[in-house]
Amino acid sequence: MSGFSLWWIDGKLLPGAFLREAAGRFLLLLLLGAYFVAMLLSGGMNRYLSERWAVTAVLRPSVTDAEGEGIAKKAAGLPGVQSAVYKDPEASWKEFLEAYPGLETLRTAGGTPLPGYVEIRMRPDRFAEADIRSTEAVLAALPEVEKILSGAEILKGILRVNLWVNVLFRAGFGVLAAVAFLLFYLQEKGRATALSGDFDFLRDRGIPSRRIALSRAAGAALAAGVLSLAATAASVSVLFLLEARLPLLRRVIGPAGEILNLPFIVPLAIFLLAVAALSGGASLLGWRAAQSRRK
Amino acid sequence: MIEAFHVGAVSRDRTLWDGLDMAFDDGEVCVVTGPAGCGKSLLLRVLRGERRPDAGDVVAGGVSLYRGAPEEAGAFRAASGVVPESFPSVAGRSVRDLFLLSETAGERVPEKERKERREELLSLMGMPGALDWKLSSLSVTERARVALAAELLRGPKYLFADMLVANAGGEWTDMLGGLFRALAREGKTVVLAERTFPERWKARGGGEGTAKGPFRLFRIAVPGESTA
Repeated sequence: MSGFSLWWIDGKLLPGAFLREAAGRFLLLLLLGAYFVAMLLSGGMNRYLSERWAVTAVLRPSVTDAEGEGIAKKAAGLPGVQSAVYKDPEASWKEFLEAYPGLETLRTAGGTPLPGYVEIRMRPDRFAEADIRSTEAVLAALPEVEKILSGAEILKGILRVNLWVNVLFRAGFGVLAAVAFLLFYLQEKGRATALSGDFDFLRDRGIPSRRIALSRAAGAALAAGVLSLAATAASVSVLFLLEARLPLLRRVIGPAGEILNLPFIVPLAIFLLAVAALSGGASLLGWRAAQSRRK
Repeated sequence: MIEAFHVGAVSRDRTLWDGLDMAFDDGEVCVVTGPAGCGKSLLLRVLRGERRPDAGDVVAGGVSLYRGAPEEAGAFRAASGVVPESFPSVAGRSVRDLFLLSETAGERVPEKERKERREELLSLMGMPGALDWKLSSLSVTERARVALAAELLRGPKYLFADMLVANAGGEWTDMLGGLFRALAREGKTVVLAERTFPERWKARGGGEGTAKGPFRLFRIAVPGESTA
């Protein structure tokens, strides 16, 4: 009996409808893929917040540059930390003057009145209260650190907003995925109904219904996997192009190139497999609905 | 060999036939005749393993189609071809699609060979170049012939045809008779259901056939008959 030809039987018998449906699916998967990539890279609002939010460890005036660099290096090695940069008293003074011009007179002959500090930024995926608190605790315990500035008083509120925004992002993705599944199901049901006479022909010639249904589902899953791969690749390319023109997008979503890093590749692969499974499932359900309608 | 043992069928609370015994040997062409509504199409479906008889059993190649494993009945159906009395004309569907379905149901054949076979069969049926014709545009006789060509594409070991000779028309009777005898010589079994025994065909044992319930069963003489 025919090997893989049953996988593509719909496309062979109804090529026009099949191509139109594939085009529709591609557009929807483009949207879904872009949403997923943006959600994955940005972590919702996490990347934006981690970019804006810094934990500052103010050092004692007696701390030397070498000691300051050492503390920055140590902080950078903490699990939730993305970067830790030491700013010496001179750099600190320059920043102060940029923020408050005209206060040069505050500087005495003895040197800058400001101490050095270490600026710590959290990793987007670790921008959580527990990680921020543990980083603060480690730094506060150092004798060279005079105090920690992290805006602790508003952190809780920001994290709560962040949580709700992330929930909203994920719910939006869930709605989009449900719409995609519904569309796939309706397409599959319509096609299975249109081809019911042809499936009767095959059944009459010894091909079991189960085999037809499973082969079609396998074909649908494979086609959706390939389509979603193409759609996701297209959405990443668009993101690359847009980021070159819109730097804000890069700050909010993150560099599109990062998608090729292992921590992103795995969820991306799971996404592609899930789309394939969703499509295969929609094909089976569509088949079942078409069959039960005939009874 | 296909054997029907004491088969009976009930339709709309009416017993159509009961206690029928029939045997169709390998390499044999048989014609089952009977008046309209006597259950010829139903008999073909029963013999093909598609419709369980209300009594009795059908054994094909030593395997019971209704009491054996479903896979074995499926294998028998896969080895058989069926030309229905009529098939629905789906809008936009072409002869090529019918051939495609038949190929899908059959053994995988290389594309070049498939193409040659399609063309040969369509020529044999007097419809060369009809591959892209719409099924809805075909006449009854053309449909009958194209359905037969689609079945022959798979080279089935058993061929069941319902009203094929009548639908194909008188001018095709001799050609179809010759074709079925040729198939029988290759050891294939052909079972036809017709209202009347086709004129000009020669039945074995006189030409009256054998009475089987409401049917008459004719066996066609096949020169150089294979008993394999």
